[in-house]
Amino acid sequence: MLPELNAILGPIYFWLFAGLATLCGGALLLCRHPIQGAVALIGVMLSLSGLYALLHSPFLAVLQILVYAGAIMMLLVFVIMVLNQGLDDRIPRFDAYSLIGLALPVLLAALVLNTIGDSRSGIVEHAGTVRAGLETVAARMFDTAGGGWWLLFEFGGLILLAAIVAAVMLAKRSLDTVADDDQPHHEHAGHAERAAAVAAIPDAATVGRSTETFVKPPVAGTH
Amino acid sequence: MEFNDIVLMAIKLGLVLIPFMLVPLLILMERRGAAFIQDRPGPNRAAIPIFGLRLRGFGLVHNLTDGIKLFFKESFVPPFAYKPFYLIAPAIPVMTAVLTPSLIPWFAPISYAAANGVVTVAPSFFDANAGILALFALGSLSVYGVVLGSWASNSKFALLGGLRASAMMISYEVSMGLGALGLFLVVGSFSLTSIVEWQANHVWGIVVQPIGFLLFLVSMFAECNRNPFDVAEGESELVAGFHTEYSSVKFALFMMGEYCHIVVASALIATLFLGGYHLPWLDTVAIKTHLGGVLAGVLAVTALLFLAIAHLVHGRRKQYATLAASDRAARSKEYGFFRALFVLAGLACLGGAVASWLLVKPQALDLWHEGAKVYPLRWSLLTAALQIGIVLAKTLFFCWLFVWVRWTLPRMRYDQIMSLGWKVLLNIALVNLLVTAVIAKAVQS
Repeated sequence: MLPELNAILGPIYFWLFAGLATLCGGALLLCRHPIQGAVALIGVMLSLSGLYALLHSPFLAVLQILVYAGAIMMLLVFVIMVLNQGLDDRIPRFDAYSLIGLALPVLLAALVLNTIGDSRSGIVEHAGTVRAGLETVAARMFDTAGGGWWLLFEFGGLILLAAIVAAVMLAKRSLDTVADDDQPHHEHAGHAERAAAVAAIPDAATVGRSTETFVKPPVAGTH
Repeated sequence: MEFNDIVLMAIKLGLVLIPFMLVPLLILMERRGAAFIQDRPGPNRAAIPIFGLRLRGFGLVHNLTDGIKLFFKESFVPPFAYKPFYLIAPAIPVMTAVLTPSLIPWFAPISYAAANGVVTVAPSFFDANAGILALFALGSLSVYGVVLGSWASNSKFALLGGLRASAMMISYEVSMGLGALGLFLVVGSFSLTSIVEWQANHVWGIVVQPIGFLLFLVSMFAECNRNPFDVAEGESELVAGFHTEYSSVKFALFMMGEYCHIVVASALIATLFLGGYHLPWLDTVAIKTHLGGVLAGVLAVTALLFLAIAHLVHGRRKQYATLAASDRAARSKEYGFFRALFVLAGLACLGGAVASWLLVKPQALDLWHEGAKVYPLRWSLLTAALQIGIVLAKTLFFCWLFVWVRWTLPRMRYDQIMSLGWKVLLNIALVNLLVTAVIAKAVQS
């Protein structure tokens, strides 16, 4: 019973998730408010997780939700909420340089279409083999005979930890005091004072965007 | 598709609705539990007049009136809210509450003889090796309901509540995962079914990982936004926290999601640390071979419970008779009716116990599957029903624990919650994991 059902539902689900991912990706580029973009990105990640599940990779699908949608995006949404920035109207969505960016996805699409070419029917995997299940991933990673990847994995974790510690160190002006950015900023503050206030916002360093976008009105305004 | 397949699919679909079906019971439990702990009568006004009786149903009618009120209230959307997220947000906790029960094994895998050999039915929809990870993933998604709802409300109270809630839930997810990780290390699997099977073959998780159990329990209280961690609402500080701007059905959805979350969390604790559908000396094979006796025992206990409730009602009726209340006659009439009802139910259960002792004698088929005899489908289904009852009993115990804690402990201050999560629980979890890993390695080699 199940194989026939899968053969019917598989392509439907594929196009559903693929369409959703593309739609959310487009929304991510077009949305004017950071939190709309964040939600669109969550949509992309959930659709990707569905695609992984279609490819018989349940472990990868679950990790996609757990790590990206559940943890990283959650943190990003949290930061957006803390800063509670308004609509981003100053930067235009598209300009002349966007055309260069547009060329890249076209090139990629051409490459992908060229590769899958006439084997269009093979988009959805029918084979019952689990590709990125828990066992396969674990066997590849902790493969003691062939070296394995666990040491590199642990190093990656250490580097991330070091990055977090470094971000905290950068955010703090001195080790003893907490960076206090909740002092009221005066409306007619001079440039130097404004710059100091911007530098005191801890996430400017960690998120790594230009500090320009983090200048906010003195009273944290709602959108 | 065979008839048996359809029946089993329908049963599994029905199990998904368990949290929803338990929500009215949980609300009743909350109200009566609060009344019991605070030494007051509890909900006792709303009643249904029928056949000259005023049936109050021990406060269940209040749930009905709540539902009617919430459905007929004006569904108000504040003009300053950001509508798309404001409307989506209440649906997210409910969505996760519908999806998560499909991952919990409510019964042992059923094997039965079909036309093309022995068929095994998995107890949950998604029984991959990453089962518990999927549960955690869905749990982490439910935070978005609070976050998006609070942000889209565009009000200071809601935003503060949402900020607190999201920070707290992120913090406690760490110690929740690390607390349960020790158990996975011992069991050696992420699949919930094999965790329960391991507990059936060895000991319950709470014996192996007592500290992990406590960590998981405390973190689950924070994940459910329940007292002493309910700073998301914090009505003395934040009006109603993240759902300040919500009314009518949208508010009801938030509340329902919260109670469903409690049920799912309780079921998860019961599955991971209290053996799930397993009782000591009563594993699946034992239940199947002595099905009549087990059924008789369960029914006898149920009969005892019914008779005990009848006794309670009888005592309350006598107590009412001495009061000078104006509706004394109506109350004693109602309690007399319930007493008769519970006595009848108890007697019926006793009769059922005797009947099942005498009549239920399942004969195993001449088939073997994975080292166990295969029974006809109806006896397997009966076994599954018993096991669902076992899981539900354990789940309800933890639901009561949630209520008990809520009305016993005061709310913690926000900085206390954060320092408990990061400075105490996380360290205990890490040390626990380390010690477990060392011991597991020593035992293995």
